[in-house]
Amino acid sequence: MSLSIQYDSSFEGFLSAVFEIYRQHLDVGEFRPDRGDGNLGDGTPGDIFMQPFRIETSEDAANRLHRAILNFASEEVYNLLHAALLSEEPGVEMKILAYLKKLFSGTDPNYGRNPASAEMLPLYKIAQSVRREAGGLLGLVRFAVGPDNVLYAEIEPRFNVLQLMETHFSKRFANEKWLIYDSRRDYGIYHDEFGVQVVNLPGYKSGSMDLKDAFTDLWKEFYDSIAIKERENPKLLRRCLPVRYWNHLPERSVRFAAT
Amino acid sequence: MDIREKLRILSAAAKYDVSCSSSGSNRCTPPGGLGDACSAGICHTWAADGRCVSLLKVLLSNACKYDCAYCANRRSNDIPRATFTPKELIDLTVEFYRRNYIEGLFLSSAVIKNPDYTMELLVKVAKELRTVHRFGGYIHLKAIPGASPRLLTEAGFYADRSSVNIEVPSDKSLQYLAPEKNFASIYAPMNFLAERKLEYGPTARLRGPSFLPAGQSTQMIVGASGESDYQILSLSSGFYNRQKLKRVYYSGYVPINADKRLPVLTTKPPLAREHRLYQADWLMRFYNFRYDEILDEAHPNLDLELDPKIGWALRHPEFFPVDIQHADYEAILRVPGIGVKSAQLIVSGRRFSKLRLEQLKKMGVVLKRAKYFIYHPDTPASLRRLYPEMVRPLLLPRSKSGQLDLFAGSPLALPA
Repeated sequence: MSLSIQYDSSFEGFLSAVFEIYRQHLDVGEFRPDRGDGNLGDGTPGDIFMQPFRIETSEDAANRLHRAILNFASEEVYNLLHAALLSEEPGVEMKILAYLKKLFSGTDPNYGRNPASAEMLPLYKIAQSVRREAGGLLGLVRFAVGPDNVLYAEIEPRFNVLQLMETHFSKRFANEKWLIYDSRRDYGIYHDEFGVQVVNLPGYKSGSMDLKDAFTDLWKEFYDSIAIKERENPKLLRRCLPVRYWNHLPERSVRFAAT
Repeated sequence: MDIREKLRILSAAAKYDVSCSSSGSNRCTPPGGLGDACSAGICHTWAADGRCVSLLKVLLSNACKYDCAYCANRRSNDIPRATFTPKELIDLTVEFYRRNYIEGLFLSSAVIKNPDYTMELLVKVAKELRTVHRFGGYIHLKAIPGASPRLLTEAGFYADRSSVNIEVPSDKSLQYLAPEKNFASIYAPMNFLAERKLEYGPTARLRGPSFLPAGQSTQMIVGASGESDYQILSLSSGFYNRQKLKRVYYSGYVPINADKRLPVLTTKPPLAREHRLYQADWLMRFYNFRYDEILDEAHPNLDLELDPKIGWALRHPEFFPVDIQHADYEAILRVPGIGVKSAQLIVSGRRFSKLRLEQLKKMGVVLKRAKYFIYHPDTPASLRRLYPEMVRPLLLPRSKSGQLDLFAGSPLALPA
């Protein structure tokens, strides 16, 4: 009977699980990431008679698997698998596991360099959409200046991309204090002179960070005045700037409409 | 006049400048400073017409002493005039940047008093941002034709990119529409900056600050005068090869001024033509096409119905079908519908296995157009030659009614 594996939803946790699967020769049927919100897995009610097998995250195991992936493939593949896992798509873990099994089987010495293998292609596509969202969001985070001169921003990305955006913002705003909060997953990253840390704001209400000030109004003024009426193209606009992001953009949101 | 009104006037005055890219520079955040430049460029929002907005694009002033027919800010127009003080501009830039609204500043200006006076103001803003505020974001400065070499050089050290707009694609039309300008006066700063960039190039960068790390760009108005697409592309090709410009922008003429030298006010901007020109431009920059391959004397204008890559393919049936399994990367890049990413994926993927049609589909290669131009193991024998006259109707966009009009007069293209 195949097992259901529970892990803590982090990439290290997943790698530790893979390590244990190899060590104990487990037959895995599905993965259930524990995202800490009480909802295990992909929302389908699990078999109440079958307890998931919980695998604790071990840094050592994750490092060993990292080294193994580097040996058989490359750092790029490692990062790609990480990005694919961040999609939180139901079943993506099994796809990654299938890839790793084929990779470690050693039947094809060039397997790790083949971007078009049957197991790699779906992962490549998933990772691509995750990275596209992370890259696109770099420009769409909108900070508001709080009373303590801390910059606040709220995002609701489709994928769990906050970790992919961390480096960009800690370089760019190296000398500022800022907080980017993913209100959909209820965690954020906070940066100050001591570095970046993950924070939780229990009971946070969406929208309460969207503060307004004089420069927000100036920004809207700017946005409205650069529109060229003769060239308006709502379809193109929606394709470039999907409506699901508008809520947190002062220039497009009704929430920020002039008062 | 308060800053809000100034911003409204001066950003509206700058909106016809197309360039808004923030790519090509790799500036790091200065110690204790604010901001860096991302070499891929970042879009921060999109305007109502679908243009990417990444820079705070404004004029320093719209009080122009010139009288160019195509320009909204010309001397003879009765419009409100405004001028930013350097401090206002710097505050706007820094505060917008901190809120992650923008990637940096795009500063242009109408010519106030004389070119040197204007250029000095532009340089002053950039200098203060870089030195006093330790601003590491992107700065695009306009080079004002006729400004002194000293100011242009100084601008190059503070800015990431600089641009001089050629405005109209031929010298004759330019002098006709803009009596105070000619090609020589526009080429002069462009060439000067290109030479300085060579002089302070990668080898010298180790010793001093970098000079215009993101290079130069220019822009021309399409559809205000009678040039053909062939003339336009040969001009751009020259810019890319000789002045080493990073980008040439094409701006479909939006009628702003009633002027007997220009198309009438009711003219619609030639958006389709502009789109095709950009596609042709992409072919030159990323697909190794020469301008005289895309168009020639016999075909001086781009086909508005089909993209220029298909146009070239249909004129060169002897080149197709391209064998996906064995052809060079350059040949695969020439297949309509296959882009740089797909071509790279094909070339690296085919080393490990034979590529069949379904595998291409899984890779995400768009086969809608490409399928007529490639050869793969499953190609039926009848399709191993390209018949342009058969393929062309299949590639044309479907008519809006979605139904074949049998009585339209043109004979149906039946396969022989």
